[in-house]
Amino acid sequence: MTPKKVQRKEKEEPRIGVYVCHCGLNIGGVVDCARVAEFAAGLPGVILSKDNLYTCSEPGQELIKADIKEHRLNRVVVASCTPRLHEPTFRAACEDAGLNPYLFEMANIREHCSWVHLHDKEAATEKAKDLVRMAVARSKLLAAQEPLEVPVTRKALVIGGGVAGIQAALDLADSGYKVYLIEKDPSIGGRMAQIDKTFPTMDCSICILAPKMSEAGRHPNIELLTLSEIEGVEGYVGNFTVQVRKKARFVTDSCTACGDCVKVCPQVAPDEFNAGLSMRRAIYMSFAQAVPSTYQIDMDLCLNKHGIIACDKCFQACQRQCVDYSQQDQILTLDVGTIIVATGVDVYDPTPLTEFGYRKFPNVITSLEFERLINAGGPSGGNLIRPSDQKIPKTVAFLQCIGSRSKRSNIYCSNICCMNTIKDALLIKEHWPETKILVFYIDIRAFGKGFEDLFQRARREGVSFIRGVPGEIIEDPETNSLTLIGEDTLLSQLYRYEVDMAILSVGIEPRKDSPVIQRLLNLSCAADGFFLEAHPKLRPVDTPTGGIFLAGCAEGPKDIKDSVTQASAAASRANILMAQGKVIVEAITAVVDETLCQGCGMCVKVCPYSTIREDPETKIAQVTQASCAGCGTCVAECPFSAITQRHFTDAQIFAQIDAITEEAPETKAVAFCCNWCSYAGADFAGVSRMQYPTPIRIIRTMCSGRISTEFIEYAFRRGAAAVLVSGCHIGDCHYINANHQTEKRVNRVWKKMERLGLDKNRLQLAWISAAEGNLFARKMKEIDEIIQGVTPEEIEKTKQILVPKKKGKGEGTEPKE
Amino acid sequence: MLKSIWELFNKEDLFECYQCARCTGSCPAAMVMKCYGPRETLLRCLNLGQEAVINDERVWYCTTCHVCEDRCPQEINISELLTAIFNLAAQRGNLPEKIKFGVDLIAKTGRSLIVNEKVLKDRQKLSLPPLDPLNIDEIEGILKKTGLNDAIELS
Amino acid sequence: MKYAFFLGCVIPVKYPGFEKATREVMKVLDIELVDLPFSCCPAPTNMKLAHYDTWLALAARNLCLAEEAGLSILAMCNGCINTLKEANLILKEDLQRRNQVNLALEGSGHCFNGTIEVKHLLDVLYKEIGLERIAEKVQHPLDGIRIGCHYGCHLYRPPRLMYPDELSEAASYVPVSMDQILTVLGAQPTQYSRKFLCCGSALGTNIDAQAANEITREKLQHMKKHRIEAVSVACPSCFSQFDRGQMMLERKHHDGFNLPTLYISQLLGLAFGLDRPNLGLGDHRISLQPILERVGRSS
Ligand SMILES: Cc1cc2nc3c(=O)[nH]c(=O)nc-3n(C[C@H](O)[C@H](O)[C@H](O)COP(=O)(O)OP(=O)(O)OC[C@H]3O[C@@H](n4cnc5c(N)ncnc54)[C@H](O)[C@@H]3O)c2cc1C
Ligand code: SF4
Ligand code: SF4
Ligand code: SF4
Ligand code: SF4
Repeated sequence: MTPKKVQRKEKEEPRIGVYVCHCGLNIGGVVDCARVAEFAAGLPGVILSKDNLYTCSEPGQELIKADIKEHRLNRVVVASCTPRLHEPTFRAACEDAGLNPYLFEMANIREHCSWVHLHDKEAATEKAKDLVRMAVARSKLLAAQEPLEVPVTRKALVIGGGVAGIQAALDLADSGYKVYLIEKDPSIGGRMAQIDKTFPTMDCSICILAPKMSEAGRHPNIELLTLSEIEGVEGYVGNFTVQVRKKARFVTDSCTACGDCVKVCPQVAPDEFNAGLSMRRAIYMSFAQAVPSTYQIDMDLCLNKHGIIACDKCFQACQRQCVDYSQQDQILTLDVGTIIVATGVDVYDPTPLTEFGYRKFPNVITSLEFERLINAGGPSGGNLIRPSDQKIPKTVAFLQCIGSRSKRSNIYCSNICCMNTIKDALLIKEHWPETKILVFYIDIRAFGKGFEDLFQRARREGVSFIRGVPGEIIEDPETNSLTLIGEDTLLSQLYRYEVDMAILSVGIEPRKDSPVIQRLLNLSCAADGFFLEAHPKLRPVDTPTGGIFLAGCAEGPKDIKDSVTQASAAASRANILMAQGKVIVEAITAVVDETLCQGCGMCVKVCPYSTIREDPETKIAQVTQASCAGCGTCVAECPFSAITQRHFTDAQIFAQIDAITEEAPETKAVAFCCNWCSYAGADFAGVSRMQYPTPIRIIRTMCSGRISTEFIEYAFRRGAAAVLVSGCHIGDCHYINANHQTEKRVNRVWKKMERLGLDKNRLQLAWISAAEGNLFARKMKEIDEIIQGVTPEEIEKTKQILVPKKKGKGEGTEPKE
Repeated sequence: MLKSIWELFNKEDLFECYQCARCTGSCPAAMVMKCYGPRETLLRCLNLGQEAVINDERVWYCTTCHVCEDRCPQEINISELLTAIFNLAAQRGNLPEKIKFGVDLIAKTGRSLIVNEKVLKDRQKLSLPPLDPLNIDEIEGILKKTGLNDAIELS
Repeated sequence: MKYAFFLGCVIPVKYPGFEKATREVMKVLDIELVDLPFSCCPAPTNMKLAHYDTWLALAARNLCLAEEAGLSILAMCNGCINTLKEANLILKEDLQRRNQVNLALEGSGHCFNGTIEVKHLLDVLYKEIGLERIAEKVQHPLDGIRIGCHYGCHLYRPPRLMYPDELSEAASYVPVSMDQILTVLGAQPTQYSRKFLCCGSALGTNIDAQAANEITREKLQHMKKHRIEAVSVACPSCFSQFDRGQMMLERKHHDGFNLPTLYISQLLGLAFGLDRPNLGLGDHRISLQPILERVGRSS
């Protein structure tokens, strides 16, 4: 896919039509629209200029369409509400009339003008004129663009074969797509295969999971790759190429799981599946219901290493001759269109909390170990026994929030452990009703459907809930019984409880290897280490990278129901992409001018999507159009002006700055706002009718990362009194982390201003979210004060000494005036 | 005027306490003294204000073992909070006699125990160096500057 | 190696024998100890609680004396360590505090510069001298006596101030030096429940001795349960709890613990075969006889 060359200038002369909208009294009640339209008519290139009551109405749109045809308009500017509202409407109207939608431009004279300057009609009208002047100036430089269509490969990859991965794979396979299900362990099933019963319904976990596992195992559309991990991912939405290492199993597919081999194997090790509570051989199957139902050899444990055969007992024992010590790892290359990440969670290891004695006292165990103990398929055949003496405990304690909600481990609530403990307590009560059960908690979080019921049931059955986690567990050296020392906060009383066994209700945490997945797939992680969704409410299973989705606990702690729900959601999102068979990429991507690129690699470093590559030979940067999100950070970074962002070109932005500073620049501030947060924040200030001073003129870009130091300096050189750069809060950037570059660039200009003895306060940086209209309004007042304080001398001095830095090559970014 | 405790300790840190009681559960003083424990002290500071705490003689039950801080899952610097409470209590005149005595002795002699003839003799027997009186002017000068006498009432 | 020897108040006044033992042991280990006119540290259990600024300034004065002599400090008492280490760390890191303190010190001619370290005897033994060199000096191994270590809270808590370089992310800090030293002396350091519980000393000296002794009793009970034969301490205040406190407890509860308590230098001295009169063995309320017999040093 070769990017189209940017059309630098349209050949034909601009024929611009301007429409100033009254929006009833919303604009017309404050701004003198007729005067604005009259003013616009006098601007060069404007063929006609009208004011009308409702431009977005049917007649309003029809008027534009008719004018385009009648007057051969090749640019349309509407001065009305925010483009975030009606840009699509007007674009469609233009397209209807045969005008390329990218030749349409808007001036926001409602949210950014009439609504926020209700009481100063004169100044509002003047500002509206400026905003129209900016839009007209920009419109002249607009170019027709064609959005890109990328085909989507109709195959999916699911990473992780827990319940979430299985569900997602089945949904997609049932929809008719080929699915590769990758699982690093010998069997699919994940955590759910390890647990005994499930809250809140108390179903047997493996009984409900096993049918799904086998279905996934034999589904004609699913290719199951166990003992497999991804090693490389290339490509972009719809077109990923994935390298997978399928580790040698040393037992072939013809294994019937008869188990004859196991009896003869001399090598033993702790069994991971049973949380180390029992032993397994070097040749083994992780659990009875494993899918695939095939044995494997743990080569780290087997006596045959590096091709030297020291033992062939299992080979001899297998009648079907399935054992093959010489099997090698395979590297597979898969082409897929979508990827679902369902890598699940690890369980917190409480060893560092020495005061609880885990690993020191045999009768202190974790909740995962408990699941295996009480499971009929587990090491004790489902008998709850104390590890120290194999006796059935009479008193059992559960300690909540171990490894959760703590600065010493993970700060978040693990979401499942409260209910898991309640479930475990009821299980014990079911089999051994006489058992005394104590639950030590901080808060019981029983928020889901059916949860409170279960909690009440546990209390009715006599489970004691004690508010206050023990400070310490001590062990009786003779009996191995435990004493819990702590405070009951509801009674404000110290307690000492002697118990036979204590279960640490451990939290769940991101997989240790999740940084690897993160790097390979270019995902983002939240501070807690879980993968970050594209939007916490509206795009909860998307990732910022197109074509990649999240399911299950990989995205955050959750129970089985939520994992499955999310898996189906992710499958459905992937399904949409693959059903359409193509994706449309908006024509705002970055394009490299190969004649100007010097191969410095600066753009490669800043692109949050790692979508720029250097040609291995020429070093010239290449932007993959399909995965470019259009933040423009690379454009602002390129020292040679070799990258252009379509529809947000340097020339267009310079033209807007020129328009702002054409008259009385010393009374104005140039503001750069990003589409998603600060521009939306300004809109919100408008919607809420927050009143603020008039000097600000906003230039909208998609991301604050688009703002180059040159724009800032140019605005000052043109005599602007102040400049504001604003974007989303750090961590909230809609382009992963592009606003880090914004911060760096503003810092650079600040340093320069300081060095030159200029008042750096005139350049402001503000992080404003879409909800922080009040913050925006406050900032406007601050900036107004700054403007009042700037002297003509200071402005003059700035014009003189804030000169552009020498360009390496190329003509520099400043427009020729 | 007494300082506000929140000038000595960052109030926001306390908001992270969720009253899990691992501190009091570990506290030796809570084990042997009725109605004492760092969890509650902390909550009282937060909900009832410093006056409710610094006038209460129970604050002095603390053995300053700092195990509470050690066990706190939220890493709250409880020992710093307690030191702030003690200092304010002392200024308010809520200071146990025995501590007052020790402080007084340090102010007067530079040592917290009395060095009498028997001590000197015992040391001589073991041929240990004598415990000479300290340069008390120097110490007094320092105490004047740090304002010990203005802050708390000594005998 | 050479250190400024910080006696503190309790050891030189109440337990001069421990001081003697320490001096003798250090002689054997080639450590030179220099006496300086230090004042009370001052104690974290009185001055610090009454008036933090005074506490910090007086601690700074002591640190300055060592700085002026160009020597790091070796102290024998946990209280001293707690004060001097914390003050040293805070004054090294917090320049504002340092300026305030230096202002207070102005008239005395001292100025804190942050040039020295403060070390407890245990750390000098364990980290500076090293177990190997200690092992070389052992002549009367301690016969596998089951000794329970009581480190004392002020030695290591809060760890963020006492051992900032040894913190791991999640793990609670657990001291090991005394156990390790006792192992090379030939004893059998024995773990027991509530090993890291406070002895209760400050509660005793400030408020209520009986209540404090109950805390000690909790520890003694667990020591007994774990068949411990003697207690080793690294602080005179803890010593007093285990020795004098135990005697008082015996009067009240008749537990019959009879757990001899020794200051760490005494155990080193016994193992090194130093002269008995130099080890302060007479300062004990709970008889040491069984222990001395076990190591063949009863007469
Ligand atoms: C002790 C305990 C008890 C629980 N009890 C209940 C309960 O009663 N009810 C309830 O609703 N929920 C319960 N849960 C929660 C439940 O286990 C999870 O919600 C569920 O397992 C999440 O499924 P998942 O597929 O997202 O993750 P997982 O079950 O963790 O599965 C992830 C899978 O991905 C694989 N994988 C990981 N990394 C890679 C990689 N890089 N490449 C390939 N494969 C990889 C793993 O091997 C694993 O098979 C419990 C959890 C625990 C820890
Ligand atoms: S679910 Fe319950 S036990 Fe688990 S971290 Fe949250 S509050 Fe604690
Ligand atoms: S930095 Fe932004 S605009 Fe440039 S290539 Fe990357 S995603 Fe596209
Ligand atoms: S341990 Fe920490 S969080 Fe828990 S109650 Fe005490 S101060 Fe609060
Ligand atoms: S420092 Fe005080 S409050 Fe904290 S645990 Fe020790 S005695 Fe209790």
